[in-house]
Amino acid sequence: MKKLDLRLLRSIKNSKGQFISITVTIIVAIVIFVSFSMVADKLRNSIFRYYEITNFSDITARVSKIPASAVEDLLSIEGIEDVQGRVVADVPLRVEDPDEKVRVRIVSVPPEDDSINRLYTIAGEEIGDSLNSTAVIQQFFVGREMSFGDIITPYIGGKTYPLEVVGEVGSPEYIYLMENEQTLLPEERGFGIIYVTEEFAQSTLGFQGSYNDIVIKVSDAYQGRIDSIVDQLEDELERYGVSSVVKREDQLSHSVMMQEVDSLGVMSTAMTVVFLFVAAIIISIMLSRLVRKDRMAIGVMKAIGYTDKQVLLHYVKYAVLIGVAGSFIGVLISIPVSVALVKLYIQYMNVPVLDTSMDPMYFVYGITLTTSFCVAAGLFGSRSVMSIDPAEAMRPEAPKAGKRIFLEKIKSVWSKISFSWKMVIRSISRTKRRAVFLAIGIALTYAITMLPVYMATIWNTLLDKQYGELQKMDYSIDFAVPLSTNVMLDIKQLTDIDVIEPKIEMPLQVKNGWRKKTISVVAVPNDTVMYGFMNSTGTPLELPEEGLFLSDILARILNVKAGDFVEVKGFLPGIDEKELQVKWIVEQYLGANAYMDIRQMYRILEEDGIATGAYVLTDSDITADLKDIKNIRAVQSVGDMQEAMLEYMDMIIASMGTMMLFGGILGFAIVYNITTVSINERLMEFSSLRVMGFEKKEIFRMITRENALMTAVGIILGIPVGYGMIKALETSISTEIYTIPAIILPSTYVIALIATLIFVAIAQLATYRKIHNLNFMDALKNRVS
Amino acid sequence: MAQEILMKAENISKLYQMGELEVVAVKKVDLEIYKGEFVVILGPSGSGKSTLLNILGGMDTPTDGNVFMEGENIIGFNEKKLTYYRRDKVGFVFQFYNLMGTLTAKENVELATEICQDALDIDEVMDTVGLGDRKDHFPAQLSGGEQQRVAIARAVAKNADLLLCDEPTGALDFETGIKILKLLKDINDKYKKTVVIITHNVPIGEMADRVIRMRSGEITEIKVNENPIDPERIVW
Repeated sequence: MKKLDLRLLRSIKNSKGQFISITVTIIVAIVIFVSFSMVADKLRNSIFRYYEITNFSDITARVSKIPASAVEDLLSIEGIEDVQGRVVADVPLRVEDPDEKVRVRIVSVPPEDDSINRLYTIAGEEIGDSLNSTAVIQQFFVGREMSFGDIITPYIGGKTYPLEVVGEVGSPEYIYLMENEQTLLPEERGFGIIYVTEEFAQSTLGFQGSYNDIVIKVSDAYQGRIDSIVDQLEDELERYGVSSVVKREDQLSHSVMMQEVDSLGVMSTAMTVVFLFVAAIIISIMLSRLVRKDRMAIGVMKAIGYTDKQVLLHYVKYAVLIGVAGSFIGVLISIPVSVALVKLYIQYMNVPVLDTSMDPMYFVYGITLTTSFCVAAGLFGSRSVMSIDPAEAMRPEAPKAGKRIFLEKIKSVWSKISFSWKMVIRSISRTKRRAVFLAIGIALTYAITMLPVYMATIWNTLLDKQYGELQKMDYSIDFAVPLSTNVMLDIKQLTDIDVIEPKIEMPLQVKNGWRKKTISVVAVPNDTVMYGFMNSTGTPLELPEEGLFLSDILARILNVKAGDFVEVKGFLPGIDEKELQVKWIVEQYLGANAYMDIRQMYRILEEDGIATGAYVLTDSDITADLKDIKNIRAVQSVGDMQEAMLEYMDMIIASMGTMMLFGGILGFAIVYNITTVSINERLMEFSSLRVMGFEKKEIFRMITRENALMTAVGIILGIPVGYGMIKALETSISTEIYTIPAIILPSTYVIALIATLIFVAIAQLATYRKIHNLNFMDALKNRVS
Repeated sequence: MAQEILMKAENISKLYQMGELEVVAVKKVDLEIYKGEFVVILGPSGSGKSTLLNILGGMDTPTDGNVFMEGENIIGFNEKKLTYYRRDKVGFVFQFYNLMGTLTAKENVELATEICQDALDIDEVMDTVGLGDRKDHFPAQLSGGEQQRVAIARAVAKNADLLLCDEPTGALDFETGIKILKLLKDINDKYKKTVVIITHNVPIGEMADRVIRMRSGEITEIKVNENPIDPERIVW
């Protein structure tokens, strides 16, 4: 082995703590990168593979009623490859517990085999042509603990129809099973899909020879022009009472799944970059200090004929070794972690098709990324090797000029400081670079430990804010059909209610230039007590008589700001598009809606005095009282929703928590390394102090004071850095289901402070050991490097 | 006797800028060094002898003047050629030995030889410097004198023609210092290497073939020693 390499290996051995801690950072970075990229990728692949197997539709249209022949006619629209009519209807399901409201969506399955949105049988049998059989969507089947042979009884048009459960199925339409945009959450016991024969659905729901739902396949060549096909369909279906034409991109389950995949990708990249960046900073600080310490050795190398490049390479190899060791171990660890995570995720996401193949490209990317970061950090950290002059380096470094420091000039302050603190302050100000490194390190540590603490608390904060300040209602009631606002009084008579307000919740298409999106718009009276609207600075807002509010995430998707005009269109036939002004962008942490005065909604719908539901303030449990009211489809308790939400968030919290926990490792790595580097540089100084008669304790106290002062500075700097990181996180992981607000509780600052202090204290222990074991005579006598 | 010139310095000057002051370290020095001779450059500290040595060794460049090594002017050399000059033509011995602490004695020597074309047998050189049985020790396990022997072995094993020694006994006690000087003389005899020592220690001049005295950056005297004495007879 080359002697320089040998020297390198031995010096790594002498500072293994540092080497290991940086390598661990690299390992974590690569494990996160490989595993989460792999999860995102496999999840996406699995989903699309599933779509292919089941022939997932590109467009879904909902109409009032359309004859079978008219469905076939749609094939004449250019680009449409295949169409299929279905009957779809949401009906109540009778269950044992009379207080439980369960709804099912009946979906008809055509007799032919090669249908669109084919069912994926997980267990049991297909329904075939048996009128009394049904196949139940997996989540609902599992949620209600069904078994084959069970009889379920949907309540259709005033009659119950017993159906035998014969199959447990999956459908590409309902990977993420949600009743509609407003529910936000899957309720596995409360809502499910049951598949029945076409004949059964048509006869029981009154659609003989006709349908109310159309699924459409668009040929590959026309995928780019899907919007114009949607427009044509809207025109074509107008006379059949079209209420929505939804392309796959906006399809509920698909869009939620894609958001999930995307946010996984974003998280994995962001976390990896943070980790690598921090590792790079530590490496380059460590190397730059090492080069300073090795000044004389570098002089010798150059004097005996090593070229600048050879010497530079000697130091860069340190970084490369970290990169190589880290990525090698990281790749090994990431293999089982990825497989486990992929399985967990895909199962959790109800994708029955599982792709767990390993894509070696991620290893290559990961290793390349890591190694390039390390090489860059190595080059940056050891670049000063080039400018070391051998003749100069051979002489002992001239002592630093002992100038008076700035603070000394302020006599009133300086005179009040005790002598030992004066020494500390002087020492810091004379080695500014070292002090700055330490402060930066601690600032980074503080910021990085803030993240997991923030993440752990934010969900509760978010739910409390959403369901306490932004939404104040206790219950949300949905009607089966739009009713007159007069029913508010009736409901009030039926149960114990303090305040009731009508609402209209209606999907409307909102368009800004070429950007358009179907948004669930909530309309309430402008003096509503159910909502506390506020803008991003927390200023309370009142609903204007004209115009609308948009939630932040929708504003971003549509690229509008307060004051812009958008075109709003309902899906009811014969109603014109209206231009409305976006008055404010409002805070909304769960879901993504637009809001307007109910009178504004009446103008859009061209109908007065109706409501699709109501919001209620009450202290009592009103579910039982309203259970059997015919026109009430659902009564949802906001408290239950909050709990359901928390449950759903578990997975997100767990996966983010794990990632963020690594922040702690990172924090410790930073403090440990920077402190160790700074002690190693000062061994000579400590030795001199010992020779002068300082006790170990006294030296340690001095160092502790120096570090304490810099820790304080670092933490103060860390607060804005942490805030900035959280802000960045806020925008990068928000989806249409949740928006993470940068609300940082005071306790977050305190916990991060305590964690940082613990890290510093552990690193201080290493300092103490060094000072304790220091053989100061040796250090002074042998000026070897 | 007509001696063959190994190295020739012509009109060497070196100025340092120190703040607003210009310090003259070496002032118009002319010097010839002959093949195989043992030269001692004497002078008090600050006389410019270290600077001169560094210039001869290709570690520093003069402000003015030329340095010829075997007829080739090293002053025009770029960084790379200068590095190769140090690698192949010169061996350095420093006052503070400057060994690599994480390499053993032998490895410290190998560090230098593995980049040379034509290195000597390391074990033999280790025997010559008297460290045959301690070559696997780390510097921290060696005395100052032993460390300096390693440094000398490092310079010699490269098989360079010229050995430049900057106060090689400066950090050593008298007896150890004498042993080191004797070793340098032996190497001068055995391997026919040209040895240049700079020191402020006047008696060391007695062992040299030639003594060059410097003061304030200038050569004040060049004296040929007709009868150099054995280093063991030097006393200070």
